[in-house]
Amino acid sequence: MSHPFEIGIITFGEISPDLTTGRRTSPRERMAEIVEQAVLADEVGLDVFAVGEHHRSDFVASAPPVILAAVAARTRRIRLSSGVTVLGSEDPVRVFQNFATLDLLSDGRAEIIAGRGSFTESFPLFGYDVADYADLYREKLDALLAIRRENPATWHGSPHTRDLSGLDIAPRPVGALPIWIGSGGTAASSVRAGSLGLPLALGLLLGPLRQFADRVEKYYESFESAGHPAEEARVGITAHGYVGATSQGARDTMYPYFAVGMRENNHQRGAGFALPRRAFDAQATPNGALLVGSAQEVVDKLMAYHEAYGATRALLQLGYGHLPQREHLTAIERLGTEVAPVLRRELSSTAGSPA
Amino acid sequence: MSRPLRVVVVNGSPNERSRTMGLAGLVTSRLEELLPVEVHRIDVYRLGHGFTDAVLREEVSPEVEQRIRLAEGADVLVAATPVFRASYAGMFKHFFDLVDQYALANKPVILVATGGSDRHALVIEHALRPLFAFFQAATAPVGFYANAGDFDGTLVLNGEVYSRVEMGLNDIVAQLKALSDGLGDGAGATAA
Repeated sequence: MSHPFEIGIITFGEISPDLTTGRRTSPRERMAEIVEQAVLADEVGLDVFAVGEHHRSDFVASAPPVILAAVAARTRRIRLSSGVTVLGSEDPVRVFQNFATLDLLSDGRAEIIAGRGSFTESFPLFGYDVADYADLYREKLDALLAIRRENPATWHGSPHTRDLSGLDIAPRPVGALPIWIGSGGTAASSVRAGSLGLPLALGLLLGPLRQFADRVEKYYESFESAGHPAEEARVGITAHGYVGATSQGARDTMYPYFAVGMRENNHQRGAGFALPRRAFDAQATPNGALLVGSAQEVVDKLMAYHEAYGATRALLQLGYGHLPQREHLTAIERLGTEVAPVLRRELSSTAGSPA
Repeated sequence: MSRPLRVVVVNGSPNERSRTMGLAGLVTSRLEELLPVEVHRIDVYRLGHGFTDAVLREEVSPEVEQRIRLAEGADVLVAATPVFRASYAGMFKHFFDLVDQYALANKPVILVATGGSDRHALVIEHALRPLFAFFQAATAPVGFYANAGDFDGTLVLNGEVYSRVEMGLNDIVAQLKALSDGLGDGAGATAA
């Protein structure tokens, strides 16, 4: 069997001040922008739209399933995903209910990318201790999978979850309600996803394109050695990028906003850190992680990702640092009309084969 | 009237296409953006028999003597070496064995190293920093290390390395600026 190659976009819904005017978009405008991005992504034939959960005033997406429900009402085909759901600070019952509801509203298009999360604001917010980060995530993931498996679930509780024996958890989704494991590239996440037989969503920010090749290898190994059919193993990649009319134009458009996004979120010694242009340009070379350039360059690099990781899905974050909406929409359109068709054609025969 | 800072890279890599120089190049090009500088480079592996045959400073060839003086007279020294047999390369040390004991006192020195994996990262602290402590040099608090996987050829791909260079140079840029402003009035100054 082979998975058709899927291409989608992902947003964290960050709100950064406009670079030229200094004006900060209101959360209401930002929400409208996100829905508009998703609607266009559906129209131009992209496969996935994902929203990453963040609990801070400089982000607007603390409740992805609510945003995705609004998107569901205005789209027909596109899959609707979280990216990631910070599972450790969530109630797995509620996560399941939210996404099962989304699945019913969208006729089976919902899915979850569960992760540990790279931000920790949600832990104090919901009364969890960040010290329990790893245990919370592991136990809740097991609970969520038990809930998805059958109703009532066979789940007798654990230190961080309660006994669900005999409890009715409704509604049930239309489809399989895929659950992916979101990973920042640790070997532990690869092994967890592999042993559970779940698809792996790899978050690649900056660095050499092939930097996680050994960890993906570990995923495929764990998948098989846990007795899951090898052909069901699945890897998706998530990376920052921008599709422009020309190589240089794409870089020039993306860089200033991306640098702002990095400065706001990449802190050293407690202060924000700008990404120098030469560091950005290094990432845009053929072996760097960024998916930025002309449509052809982005196609080439996605092919390289497919080759390095056996990836059958790619989610692009096109507007990190709050790229203006007009440029963001243009990039979505190019991704759907100039990049995706070429990749689907090129990879239809080879998709699903590990590197 | 100030003149450009004379930055001298002592490169301990035996390779023509060198990751060590890729990383050192990041450092010097960022310095060029921050301050008026002129960058010189000494490849110790290419100094020849006038260098390798010399046991004492008196024995080096005139060309090598001139290169050693260049390092001794630098305003800022960039000491860059790959990790070899758990430490800096032998010829890199040989070069500094020939440098005058007090020539580097209080001189700003930036430490740069590359290795096969991050397990060698402490070469900066455990080998390079003690060497320049002996010279009583003013080593920058943050050293720069990258491993083979951080590169594509000689181009550094790891964004964190760029951030570290940014941070490490920001730590010393005020001193270098003051040094630069104070230069040029004395003897040997060249017009900027």
